[in-house]
Amino acid sequence: MFEEPFRWMEAIATRHSYVQDKLKKGQPVFAVPYNEGSLLLSFAQQSGKIFEIYDRIALGGLGHPADVERLRMSLLDMAHLEGFNRSSQDVTIARLLQFGVAPALKQNFEEVMRAPYLVQLLLAELDHEGGRRFYRLNYDGHWENFKKGAVVAGDPKTTQWLEKKIHQTPFADYDLDRAMQEVCKLWEGAHKEVRESDEKDEEDESEIPTLKQAFEDWNFEAAVLCHAVDRKSIFRKVSDDEIQRLKAALIG
Amino acid sequence: MSESNTTAGAAGDFLGLLKRSGYSFHTPIGDTSRFETRNLTQGTTVFAFHFKDGILMAGDRRATAGNAIMYDRCDKVIPIDDYSLMAIAGVPATAFEMARVLSHNFEYYRRSQLQSMSAEGKIRALANLLRENVGMALQGVGVVSPIFATFDLQTNKPAIYFYDVMGAQFQIQSHTGTGSGSAIIRGILEHEDLWGAKPLDQRDRKDAAMLAIRLLQTAGHFDSATGKAQPEDGVYPVIATVTEKGYEFAPQDEMAELYKESVKRGEHV
Repeated sequence: MFEEPFRWMEAIATRHSYVQDKLKKGQPVFAVPYNEGSLLLSFAQQSGKIFEIYDRIALGGLGHPADVERLRMSLLDMAHLEGFNRSSQDVTIARLLQFGVAPALKQNFEEVMRAPYLVQLLLAELDHEGGRRFYRLNYDGHWENFKKGAVVAGDPKTTQWLEKKIHQTPFADYDLDRAMQEVCKLWEGAHKEVRESDEKDEEDESEIPTLKQAFEDWNFEAAVLCHAVDRKSIFRKVSDDEIQRLKAALIG
Repeated sequence: MSESNTTAGAAGDFLGLLKRSGYSFHTPIGDTSRFETRNLTQGTTVFAFHFKDGILMAGDRRATAGNAIMYDRCDKVIPIDDYSLMAIAGVPATAFEMARVLSHNFEYYRRSQLQSMSAEGKIRALANLLRENVGMALQGVGVVSPIFATFDLQTNKPAIYFYDVMGAQFQIQSHTGTGSGSAIIRGILEHEDLWGAKPLDQRDRKDAAMLAIRLLQTAGHFDSATGKAQPEDGVYPVIATVTEKGYEFAPQDEMAELYKESVKRGEHV
């Protein structure tokens, strides 16, 4: 059937719809700047959405955990081999994407007899001069870069709304506590906003998730790339104390 | 896409990944009978001991080849991960490569397995590398005799290991040294530990660092392959500690101050 171009295009379009439909259920993962580096943050029903890839590179993943894991391992392998064979300075997200993961993902997506990857990845990098870069990689190998922060949210409406808000918020001026608070507010705001716009189209009787519920029922994950540490590896998970302060500020 | 997480071998094994990509740490034994091994660059005199807060590790800065001084700013105490240091004596080419492999191995494991490698695993990883290097060591062209210091996050205790060139490891309770000036240093360390003002493991960081500087000055006096400090050129020994907070190198300005204080005559720790 695939020797006819139309059939092939139809199959690709169906794959797009299938993957997008699957990703819609995912919770957003944020990557934003703050005054000492970059912050990645997410709520999720299963843990394991934010990871360290290399000395100055972090990953946020949305989608099927097994697919996130396969891509995470690919990035880890490539980054460590490059860092070992050349230098840690040669390990950059742009190179990992352009010459590694993105072409492989595109090929996988267009081979319609293979199962597509159900993922969107968010990557953050902090260079030695403190410059922050953010990248979003789609399940079909398409990738974009951002300067002021980025989000992967699965649902296009949510993504669009959050992107606009991230670009309007001066995250780079905030300290870590404030940056986390603002991101959490955006997370809650996005749920309300999208539900309100959806209600014009269809009835949805499920409750809009609140931050209080999210902290109680879901896993909160946050990590930073912080240029203020005197270490080769600048990734660290946000500490329990920092999370407690965040909860106190947001939900009392 | 990479299949490293599904192929045979231990999970998170960076050396295995390297080998699959065509790298070989082990070099086959060849004919080196006409090779003058005394012309090989050698690093000398490193040691480590337990002090009050953890482990102090130090080394001089000289690299020699036979009678020639090749380099006077050699760093022989190398960070491997946030909680581990390796001090090297022997052929720097092999030792630095071992340190690079180990460092990537530990970090790759931590990142891929989402937990740090156990202290025992780290200790064994270095032993495995030394075993792979036995051929080179026996030919006299790749001898490395390292000391490994790590803070065990499971037992919450620091540990020092000394290795022989074949890869056997020995846990050290008090102090150890390796390299050409180590015999001098070990004698003084034993004396200081038993009959000094305080046992080594009761000394604070400053006292321990000052002792380290004096030990290396003494070793440099009796062993031509051990370099003394050259304050006029800003060359001081390397001193680092491993504690529950991880490793920390004494910065250059602190070393300058400590050196000045340490070498005053008639002053005692």
